[in-house]
Amino acid sequence: MKKLEVFDPPMCCSTGICGPSVDPALVRFAADFHWLAGQGLVVERYNLAQQPQAYVANPTVKAALAQYGNRCLPLILLNGAIVSKGCYPTRKELAHMAGIDYAEPVSLPVIQNGCC
Amino acid sequence: MTYTDLLDRATRILFFTGKGGVGKTSLACATALALAESGKRILLVSTDPASNLDEVLGVELSGQPTAVPGAAGLYALNIDPEASAKAYRERLVGPYRGVLPDAAVNSIEEQLSGACTVEIAAFDEFTKLLGDAAATSEFDHILFDTAPTGHTLRLLKLPGAWTGFIATNTTGTSCLGPLAGLQAQRSLYESSLRALADGSTSTVVLVSRPEPSALTEADRTRAELSQLGVSNQCLILNGLFVAQDRSDPAARALESRGRQAVEGIPAGLAALPRLEIPLLAYAPMGIAQLRGIFPVAQPSGCVVAQPSGCGNKSSSTVPLSALIDAIEEAGHGVVMTMGKGGVGKTTVASAIAIELAHRGHRVHLSTTDPAAHLAVTVEKPVRGLQVSRIDPAVETARYTAEVMAKSSAHLDAEGIALLEEDLRSPCTEEIAVFSAFARTVAEGEDSFVVLDTAPTGHTLLLLDAAEAYHRDVARTTSDVPEAVRQLLPRLRDPRFTRVLLVTLPEATPVHEAARLQEDLLRAGIQPFAWVVNQSFAGDGFRDPVLVERGARELPYIGEVRDRFSSRLALIPWSAEAPVGPERLRQLANSRADLYE
Repeated sequence: MKKLEVFDPPMCCSTGICGPSVDPALVRFAADFHWLAGQGLVVERYNLAQQPQAYVANPTVKAALAQYGNRCLPLILLNGAIVSKGCYPTRKELAHMAGIDYAEPVSLPVIQNGCC
Repeated sequence: MTYTDLLDRATRILFFTGKGGVGKTSLACATALALAESGKRILLVSTDPASNLDEVLGVELSGQPTAVPGAAGLYALNIDPEASAKAYRERLVGPYRGVLPDAAVNSIEEQLSGACTVEIAAFDEFTKLLGDAAATSEFDHILFDTAPTGHTLRLLKLPGAWTGFIATNTTGTSCLGPLAGLQAQRSLYESSLRALADGSTSTVVLVSRPEPSALTEADRTRAELSQLGVSNQCLILNGLFVAQDRSDPAARALESRGRQAVEGIPAGLAALPRLEIPLLAYAPMGIAQLRGIFPVAQPSGCVVAQPSGCGNKSSSTVPLSALIDAIEEAGHGVVMTMGKGGVGKTTVASAIAIELAHRGHRVHLSTTDPAAHLAVTVEKPVRGLQVSRIDPAVETARYTAEVMAKSSAHLDAEGIALLEEDLRSPCTEEIAVFSAFARTVAEGEDSFVVLDTAPTGHTLLLLDAAEAYHRDVARTTSDVPEAVRQLLPRLRDPRFTRVLLVTLPEATPVHEAARLQEDLLRAGIQPFAWVVNQSFAGDGFRDPVLVERGARELPYIGEVRDRFSSRLALIPWSAEAPVGPERLRQLANSRADLYE
């Protein structure tokens, strides 16, 4: 079974509602992540402020942090390999990474390389 | 019941709770002392961020039990939420220093500086004492001198709220810090809850002054706690006064005010076992004076009162109206009353607002204190005056709706459920109240805003949050409301915001206000003036207890004037309850001559 891991930057909570304003990208991603979990993938999400051990325990993540600093977060790993750095992909992009068929419900133009 | 009943019936855990200024700390200390002197080992705990247990016991306390000198068997400790948060933060971050890059470690630390970390850390400490039998097994009784009511309730309510939160949180998202950590502590939380609700283990001692507002507050606490399953409660009525000199009208008025309040005591409270403590001529400080609370000492006779009327007439203080003259000059701005609970912040704020409105200005009087009662104090509509309150429940609902409206368009049903889940976390309320506070302060741009702030601890958290937000705001590019962006600069502008430190002429409130002043100065906020409220130091009192109280006030009034503020207003104690526009205006304009 495929495994997707998200290593977030340090945050108070995963939707960012605790900040001075809500970040819509975080809210959207929280929902997309949850959707992904329902597609037969093993998904895990870590928060640097709350689970630093997970970052230290993963050599790939630890090395990326040492090389790029916090800028590389969020890091997304598929089966242990980095597939995305420094941004939150859209649901379509996530589906593409994980090899899941996904049809965009609305046919608005989508920028494919909006990430990284 | 008598004080010996209180001691004989004492359960292992005792909570002292009540409105600020009713004497919780004094009574908790006196009870702890009496129990210790009966041969028991006692742990006295303060969970108030603005605790003055150190000062009352005359010993420096820490987060570990400290033996109180001169009282064998009595130990005390202070749960300082800020210090607990720091320790908690270090526990999480420490192992990663040198392992993760510095920038990553720093950013973790910063994220863990928010209000929710403080709350989690304080609660952790509280739970340890309450839920972990081994941590306290060496003590026969544990007494909690809990913080003013709003805070107490939150603290006591938390086990319920969080146990519920943990049980219903299925998505694993949460603001509650490491949820895994919380889950691991779950059994500890549950035993805290059980200890609270078990009447053979815990007693809640409601402390009240014989005043309607304090009694109403105590009754609200009683009802709320009963609902939470905490039914073993008793009442201490502190400060009942009997006039010694029947020819002193102020003394007769004080006595009858107390008697009326006792007659009108809410039915639920009246049904509780009750202990009555007479008004002392002094606020007890140190072991010797604490001993005097229970075996009732006659205050006259032990100290020779210096009669007022001798000495030199002094004009070092001004009436409140003189401060209002200065505030009025700018034509707009924010006035904030701050100080320990129970010193009369609400009264002073209301008097200023009503006087400003009377002088023809547009004024908004509001409060961040969950226990404040502005509408009761102002009593009826006043031309030009708008009265409101920042209600945490209302603000949370408003904030939740706002976030949902802004974000739900991008989300499917599951996403919405997820967001709703996060919005249920405890820090949502903190943020919502904070935004409302910022909005209210912003109104000071074109009219007067008078804010009655919540008791000290909460106020500090609010300011702390302002600082943290300010840093956050400086960094973020997302759409932060202008009011939030401008909050700290506004609070720091002495021409825009005028902070009045309100105190009673007694050691504890003066020293707490002084600490608050230091904190404000550190935050870049210079208080405008001090207000000494309910003073007996002026001429016009004959009753020996009242005259002695007045004489004992002078050193504290002098201390404020000499060390803390050259701008000092003094409000004499008034025989009438300061309620309604006429009496509040009288209060603002009344002047007392001191003889020093």
